[in-house]
Amino acid sequence: MTNELVRIGELVRKRKVIVCCGAGGVGKTTTAAALSLAAARAGRRVLVLTIDPSRRLAETLGVSRNPPTPVAVPADRQIAAGIRAPASLDAWMLDPKLVADESVRRLTKTPEDAERVLSNRIYQQVSSMVAGMHEYTAMEALYRLVHEGQYDLVVLDTPPSRHALDFLEAPRRLSGLVDSSALQAFLPRRDSLVGRAASKVIEKILGAVFGDEFAHELVSFMMTFSGIFSALNVDVNSMRKFLSGPDVAFLLVTSPAPATLAEAHFFQDKTKELGLPFRGFVLNRSRARNTSKRWPDESSLENLAPEAKAALPRLQAMAQGELEAAKRDLALLTELEQRAGNTATAIAVPELPEGADDMITLLTIADALAAS
Amino acid sequence: MSPLQELFTKRVVLMTGKGGVGRSSMTAALATLAQRKGVRVLICDIGDDPTDYSPLARHFGRDRLPPSAELVAPGIKGVVLLARSGQELFLKSVLRSGTLARAALSSDALRRLLSAGPSFKEMGVFFQLLTLLRATQSDKQPLHQLVLIDMPATGHTLSLTGLPELLLRLVPRGPIAAALREGQSYLNDPKLGSAWVVTLPETLPVSECLELLEGLQRTGMPTGGVLVNRVPVDPFSAGEREALQSALERINPLGAEGFRRPVLARREIARLRAGTKLPLFEVPELPHSAALIPGLATSLEGQGRTP
Repeated sequence: MTNELVRIGELVRKRKVIVCCGAGGVGKTTTAAALSLAAARAGRRVLVLTIDPSRRLAETLGVSRNPPTPVAVPADRQIAAGIRAPASLDAWMLDPKLVADESVRRLTKTPEDAERVLSNRIYQQVSSMVAGMHEYTAMEALYRLVHEGQYDLVVLDTPPSRHALDFLEAPRRLSGLVDSSALQAFLPRRDSLVGRAASKVIEKILGAVFGDEFAHELVSFMMTFSGIFSALNVDVNSMRKFLSGPDVAFLLVTSPAPATLAEAHFFQDKTKELGLPFRGFVLNRSRARNTSKRWPDESSLENLAPEAKAALPRLQAMAQGELEAAKRDLALLTELEQRAGNTATAIAVPELPEGADDMITLLTIADALAAS
Repeated sequence: MSPLQELFTKRVVLMTGKGGVGRSSMTAALATLAQRKGVRVLICDIGDDPTDYSPLARHFGRDRLPPSAELVAPGIKGVVLLARSGQELFLKSVLRSGTLARAALSSDALRRLLSAGPSFKEMGVFFQLLTLLRATQSDKQPLHQLVLIDMPATGHTLSLTGLPELLLRLVPRGPIAAALREGQSYLNDPKLGSAWVVTLPETLPVSECLELLEGLQRTGMPTGGVLVNRVPVDPFSAGEREALQSALERINPLGAEGFRRPVLARREIARLRAGTKLPLFEVPELPHSAALIPGLATSLEGQGRTP
């Protein structure tokens, strides 16, 4: 690690992957979109990858929701956003079901094998409800797209979850299941007396719970599924290794709240424990810039109508509240900066009362991030 | 009866909404109000892990809710719904043989299947909820008259409410089907169950709230109403606004943002009203303090009286 100060603008221009983590409702998708715009404006070929995005953001970027592959942001919007070829901006709002289908097609040996899985009724109904599937889908798409070399930078907006790093743990659960030794237990065994006895018990249990017919169907589904994803264990490990590399940056997107510092602390520890390159905090909805604003002096208020003058004390009370909030947010940013140390950074993005999913606002945030 | 009074006659209410809108505060406030009305209320959130941090529990001075229902405040019980607990309850109820249940629960392979198999997690949570709804006192009355659930995220809400229909297509008979149908009889009956959406009077949350309402409609879950949280209090009359407007635009001083916020909030609430026919309750912005939850409850109580 060099001693140079980490800057978001640098990450946007140089890294191959930026992973935006954070709890729901902190403006994570908006931040991911703004980072992508900043990188594309700086001349890079960029993809922003997201799950469960807002409808308005899809409209702003001019892309449909849940297409089967990444789609280019329409040319006129790219030009309006100041993106010039060969730079480009693509967006992919992932549909876990479509990506799972795609993975099945890629990982099966023959089209007939693929068809057998895709037409399985358990697969059709609940493939997207296999625990960890959303997360695996996002990681898999990220890994593949980065390695195909079509993009200079992929920005990943992680799926919403209570803990910012859940998406890293979830694929492990999935790979724990498809580890075939776990599933062997559900198959009729003939190798040993003990083995036969054990599988008899399990057969009985599954039969009692699901009914004999469905139990059989379920086990055969899980076996097929695990056959397809047997490469998954390797993938999860190589993905982890790749995410620990120098081309990647993890950012925690957060907003001022009583628990913000605790969350930041937790995130930093966890990334350290997992060996992931944590590079910064993005504090959204910060009111810190209001510290530079003043309550106007008497002279500029002299000409007010009497009615306005009567309301001034109430306005002043509001101003006082704003100043206090601004001071709190500034102190929070300072703490985050200290916590970041010299291997990471902290940046505040001002509160945007109108919301942040129109292009002009996104570009304003993009420029602020690029300049930092 | 006002929609809020009606809420307290339900058996199960799902509190939904995107992250950061104050869903747990609203759940805690409704529980407080239920307790004031003498309803035996149980608050729940859904955990992945028994050590999960719970924002709802924070309102009751705890890091997390207990694994089985117990008092967390005078007259309010709480519990964390865990997939694992529900799955165990289910296995025990289905496998009447104790030996078989023990064998099942100690099987590593089965444990892995339950933790990662399709929809098994949701099913576990669903079954634990059903068990709580079934529980009765010695006088045969429900042990928990009202179960209030702080739903973790939009996706989860839809997968829990859509679960019975989805799984019944796969498993139309047997004990799972029976449990699903029983659960459905609570969740999909507008007399017994309803979902409420919590949102903020801001652009993105209002858009997301309208999307969520559409999604709930598709799953057949009855919807009770929308709670708009943190509505800024407007201290200015229309005349004062007009008189101050141009001066503030000119100097943009400290306080100008606060001046504009109630106008933006009103615009977004109007958009919400145009987008849904559901009853809407506005809850004022109150400072974070020990008095927050009782304050929110009192504000709701005042609105609940007007039908």
